[in-house]
Amino acid sequence: MTDHETLARLMADADVRQYDCYQCGKCSGGCPMADAMDLKPRGVMRCAQIGSLGRILNSNTIWLCTGCGACADRCPHDVNVPALIEEARYEAARRGLGRHDSEVLNKAFVANIKAFGRNHEMLLAGLYNVLALKPIQDMASVPHMLKKNLIGIKPNRIGATREIAELIERAEKWDDPMVATGRSQTPEVKK
Amino acid sequence: MKRYAYFPGCASESTAKSATLANEFVFGRIGIDLVEIEDWNCCGATSAHTLSSALGLALPARPLARAEADWPELDVVTGCASCYARLKLANHRVRADKSERYMVEKIIGKPYEAKREVLNFLDILSDPAARANIGAALLRRFKNLKAACYYGCLNVRPAEITGAENRENPMAMDEIAALTGAEPVEWGFKTECCGAAHQNDAALEARPLAGRILDNARACGADVILTACPMCQLNLEMRQGEYIRKREEKRTGKARFPLLDMVLPPDPEQAIPVLSITELLAVAMGAGGRRLALDAHFVPVGRLIAGALGGRESEAIL
Repeated sequence: MTDHETLARLMADADVRQYDCYQCGKCSGGCPMADAMDLKPRGVMRCAQIGSLGRILNSNTIWLCTGCGACADRCPHDVNVPALIEEARYEAARRGLGRHDSEVLNKAFVANIKAFGRNHEMLLAGLYNVLALKPIQDMASVPHMLKKNLIGIKPNRIGATREIAELIERAEKWDDPMVATGRSQTPEVKK
Repeated sequence: MKRYAYFPGCASESTAKSATLANEFVFGRIGIDLVEIEDWNCCGATSAHTLSSALGLALPARPLARAEADWPELDVVTGCASCYARLKLANHRVRADKSERYMVEKIIGKPYEAKREVLNFLDILSDPAARANIGAALLRRFKNLKAACYYGCLNVRPAEITGAENRENPMAMDEIAALTGAEPVEWGFKTECCGAAHQNDAALEARPLAGRILDNARACGADVILTACPMCQLNLEMRQGEYIRKREEKRTGKARFPLLDMVLPPDPEQAIPVLSITELLAVAMGAGGRRLALDAHFVPVGRLIAGALGGRESEAIL
């Protein structure tokens, strides 16, 4: 698949039409993360217009977007920029470009749910600090949280952990393009 | 008595301890019965959907399907903006798109029709009957308490999912807070993002998001920030000491070892307490500080309550 076709697919999946954007910049103006982004939301739309998929996939924007939706909410043409950013993030991960700490955290988070069915905050933070090589991040808060019983060793495990683990595996397979192409394109709708 | 199926969310079992205790107290007092969804699982929060769109829908759909099977006549309510956004999105997408419904049902292995609504606490507290019950249950009245109501982004956005009319200046929480005698302030950061999970994985970039919210609340004269989400609560409160320290370091040019934050609480002259809206209501309805575990807050709330209730009454609470 060429970059051109890939971009078209991302746009279709995100339900975004690049020429709806007339580059007014209201999205970047209201984006709380814009300061830290190397390609601001308006820039993402510009790259989509000129077909520069590579710049989008290699930007830190797709990893720093918080998904707060301020840009889409304020857009005079209802361009859903965060939906496009999300699709771009999936594509970057498929190409192995996701090396941001955000991916480390999200993977640890899902592993956590797979194991317990619910999020175990202490384990997640601990796992993340180790994997991302940030041993002292947030550690100053730990004594208070342990003392006040806000976090603890005991996981809040649910009964159906096996069901959840299988659910996660099925969902991940569903998103895998190799598996998806083998599936019927027109789903049978149950009555 | 009004009943809802209740999705507590993972934070309710750990860091949102005092808010959870307050929720139980408040809903008990105003005759709202929350029926916990059996064996609920994590909704995936801000993480699952960033990895896989199918997972981002399937995780919240499972407890919703369970609620639909067990309590078909009840709407679902949650006290966390992130859970709310995920549950509401799953509900919306399953309703709107048959192929998404097919996918979700295949993955969760259960039928799920999204027949009922997903609501947040602000929705159910704003209900006229609930508001009248709140008014009747109040035992204490706050004085000179200026409150900045912080809604967080996901309680209001995206509008096509939440149906929120005003995403820049919502008023639901302001109106509820005003019932207790607190004076809501006008401020600019009601629905600005706190940084959510990026406070962990992109700390350097995300810290200013929480910092700007704290600064604007103070600049607008607020004594307290009220929240409707445990994630917002944690981001504004737990990291406040660090933020104040860094701001002071910048101002004075003197650095301090970061782990000293462990033993030194944030400077009370500069720190701003953060409470959930239900904690404010619970205190006004007569709950004691121990019952609400008010001492679990990172930013001490004693001074705030003493100031707003006067000596004798605040002693009874703290």
